Amino acid sequence: MAHVIGIDLGTTNSCVAVLEGGQPTVIPNAGGYKTTPSMFAISQDGKRLVGHLAKRQAITNSANTVYASKRLIGRRFDSTEVQRSIDLCTYEIVRGPNDDPRIVIAGKTFTCPEIAGIILREMKRVAEEYLGERVSDAVITVPAHFNDTQRQCTKDAGKIAGLEVLRIINEPTAAALSYGLGRKGEEKVAIYDLGGGTFDISIVEMGEGVVEVLATDGNTFLGGEDFDRRLVTHLIEHFQQSEGIDLREDTMALQRLKDAAEKAKCDLSSAQSTEVNLPFVANDASGPHHLNLPITRDVLEGLVDDMARQTIKIVEGCVNAANVSPEDISRVVMVGGQSRMPLIHQAIAEFFGKAAHKGVNPDEAVAIGACIQGQMLMEEDKDMLLLDVTPMSLGIATFGGHFAQLIERNTTVPVRKSHVFTTTRDNQTAVKIRVLQGESEVAADNDLLGEFVLNGIRTAPKGEPEVDVSFDIDANGIVSVSARDRHTGKEQSITVNATSTLSPDEIERIIEENDLYEVEMKE
Amino acid sequence: MNARADRAAAGESVPRLAPGCDPTSLPLTPAEAYLLTRVDGSTPFSQLIQIGGLPPEEAEQCLQSWLEAGVLVVGDAPCAPPPGADTSAPDPPPGPEAVPEAEAEPDRESAPPGESGPPEPPLEIDPALEIAAEDQQRIIDFGSRLERSYYDVLGVAPGADAKAIKRAYFKLSREFHPDRYFRREIGPYEARLHRIFKKIVEAYELLSDPATRAELDRSLAEDPQAAPSRKRHARGPRPFGVMAKMLRERKKKAKRFYEAGKAAFKAERWLEASASVRLAIAFDPQNEAYKEGFSEVVVKANAIRSAQILTEAEAALDMRRPDEALALYEEALHLRPHDPEVNHTAARLALVVGTDLRKAKEYAATACEVEPDKASHHRLLGQIYKAANLTANARREIETALRLDPKDKEAKAELKRLKRW
Repeated sequence: MAHVIGIDLGTTNSCVAVLEGGQPTVIPNAGGYKTTPSMFAISQDGKRLVGHLAKRQAITNSANTVYASKRLIGRRFDSTEVQRSIDLCTYEIVRGPNDDPRIVIAGKTFTCPEIAGIILREMKRVAEEYLGERVSDAVITVPAHFNDTQRQCTKDAGKIAGLEVLRIINEPTAAALSYGLGRKGEEKVAIYDLGGGTFDISIVEMGEGVVEVLATDGNTFLGGEDFDRRLVTHLIEHFQQSEGIDLREDTMALQRLKDAAEKAKCDLSSAQSTEVNLPFVANDASGPHHLNLPITRDVLEGLVDDMARQTIKIVEGCVNAANVSPEDISRVVMVGGQSRMPLIHQAIAEFFGKAAHKGVNPDEAVAIGACIQGQMLMEEDKDMLLLDVTPMSLGIATFGGHFAQLIERNTTVPVRKSHVFTTTRDNQTAVKIRVLQGESEVAADNDLLGEFVLNGIRTAPKGEPEVDVSFDIDANGIVSVSARDRHTGKEQSITVNATSTLSPDEIERIIEENDLYEVEMKE
Repeated sequence: MNARADRAAAGESVPRLAPGCDPTSLPLTPAEAYLLTRVDGSTPFSQLIQIGGLPPEEAEQCLQSWLEAGVLVVGDAPCAPPPGADTSAPDPPPGPEAVPEAEAEPDRESAPPGESGPPEPPLEIDPALEIAAEDQQRIIDFGSRLERSYYDVLGVAPGADAKAIKRAYFKLSREFHPDRYFRREIGPYEARLHRIFKKIVEAYELLSDPATRAELDRSLAEDPQAAPSRKRHARGPRPFGVMAKMLRERKKKAKRFYEAGKAAFKAERWLEASASVRLAIAFDPQNEAYKEGFSEVVVKANAIRSAQILTEAEAALDMRRPDEALALYEEALHLRPHDPEVNHTAARLALVVGTDLRKAKEYAATACEVEPDKASHHRLLGQIYKAANLTANARREIETALRLDPKDKEAKAELKRLKRW
């Protein structure tokens, strides 16, 4: 059987794994690293660079280096997150024809699925070189609370990379599979996943070879980079005070500060104190200025304490949603680079009354879980099964701008739910069914997945016609919605999974274009 | 609440009118009659309770008593067309106004999942499929048992503890989850597996929640007949096992809508407030507080809406489209049934359009009733009578108009013409 690879497509780093003879292997790239920066750049001489190469030249070529594009994928240009990225990013973000954010580097415009596709292609290449054979089947992970559009865009990215995406699964779920591999007992486990850009928490139960997700929650705006940013701000303020120079407008200095902050943060996970040392970080009439500041673990913890507490609040909500108590949780599996921070471990120990589990590698567990799921799907004799849930509630817009949930979040899939609706006006012969995803009771605050009109409803006073609206989610997470007038038997339905920011034609064009660079990328 | 019989055994059973039974001979209140007209031979008990317009407990009692009295039967004989149902389904072309800004309104609770799916074709073992013959047989066997009690579906004893239920759920999931045959050619088994798995999840969800399980257990204790299988006998199984949970959820929803309505009220968004409160009342009709607290908002919302409609109507008049204007005035009348001006104009328009003089007369008469001392209303009523060739009535009204206002030239002229006749 051909190998199925699992790819953890992260905000800052990506990782690829494969099962060999039942044993998971994280595949190192050519440089020997098990993770690859999720970065893409076009160099001064027009070469395309991915991963470590892109990262290494980022300081001197920041305008043409893309990072953290996962924060943009599948979002609308006007969304808060995209607008915030525009303020923070060193590369240019423009509005695309479908109101999607697009990235301009070296005078060329890229869509977000395209950038993700370039990174996935690199991961595929890493796997192919290691295995010595072509790879096509893959399972890719996304944050648990990614919506439908974000998932579809990630699928498109896989297609652009020449991958057959067997399934998109949630990052914490994948980590749970990685933890559960080879374990036979019955237990409930929490997966705390604090990555570079996002935070996820899932409560899973396992036994009889089944991994069941009980509940999942998270925050797309919270991750290690936010921790770094706090430290960067701290450094800038210190420098301004002592030297009277504001580094905020200096792109090159900012990039150096960012790298230094990240390194200091990592140091402080093991050491009690460290030093940030940036010689010649600025120049003015009086000559060169150097930044030199000792930082203790206490200082860092003071800077980010509120964010750590924020994650615990989400954990608490998720534990409640799973209908368990913290004592029922036998293990807390830590995933994502930022979960290494001692402050986080303390907060977890306080909440759950037990120390965090250190048995899985926080950087690798997600990719390993993804390849386990891939293998599980393709194998004839399955010894494991994943029972996954819907990450967000689904429903339709109703009179007065309300949102009527038909499928609550955390519902095990596949699932079918139906509900009877009626008209709001006399002799109304058509209703518009607007399919929404989200948790707000106000329709406008949720994501619109699709809409259709059911007409030919019999003429009757308002409130009398009966329209059955059914939601179906199949095992692949594909949502279809149908509406049927009970009286006339008229029926309309749509499959709403296809909401991407790219059309199939655009994807084809991008695939062709990128094939031209295939040789170049192999350098 | 007196909830009985578990939903698996009975919720999907479908009553129909007993052959030969004439519903007009029954002593029914209008509300009960409405419920009876919902019995169409294809709607199961669980849904009838939801859609019958009565409070669920009452609807349950009604249906139960009709079953006992032999008005309704449960069985597989071909069913008669629903009483009073209109099968011709007039279907005027939906104009641009047919698609409303605001969409559907939720008015009833979810039907049990899986019920509305299309009937499943019988499966046969097909060696060409990528699924072993014994697995096919297992799926066929299990699929035929889905109507049994939830305990039977999971294959556990009614006294099983939570752990055993979970174990059974996991074991069955591994066997029947569609992922087991991922990307394999399994033909019609794909749909059947989805159906089976959804049922397994449903059984597990209800039995793993202590509240719903207690409910199911109570119903089993009361009616042990319902436990082993879905027996088809004349009295029919009783469908109401999960009522308590559904009621609780309805009340929760009602409260949410009510809160939203309150917020909209504060923000002076009357239309939204009244829509929300209406939903709250729909979900929890027993709650008097919902009805009382918001008569004011309904009045305000109606005033705003009717004003909007009347503006539209005036626009239609300007465009010289009296029929459109009439339709809008009639809509406004739903909101302000006693407004003399609206009635007067509607009457005048109905007279001009001329298709339904009886309506024209009604509107004009209402205007006269509300403002008996206004000559113009009586004159208009007279003109309508005249158009309907009811000259005596016409004369009487015109004369009343002249008595109220002797200077009304139009009335004078009208009277002259009438006398000439």
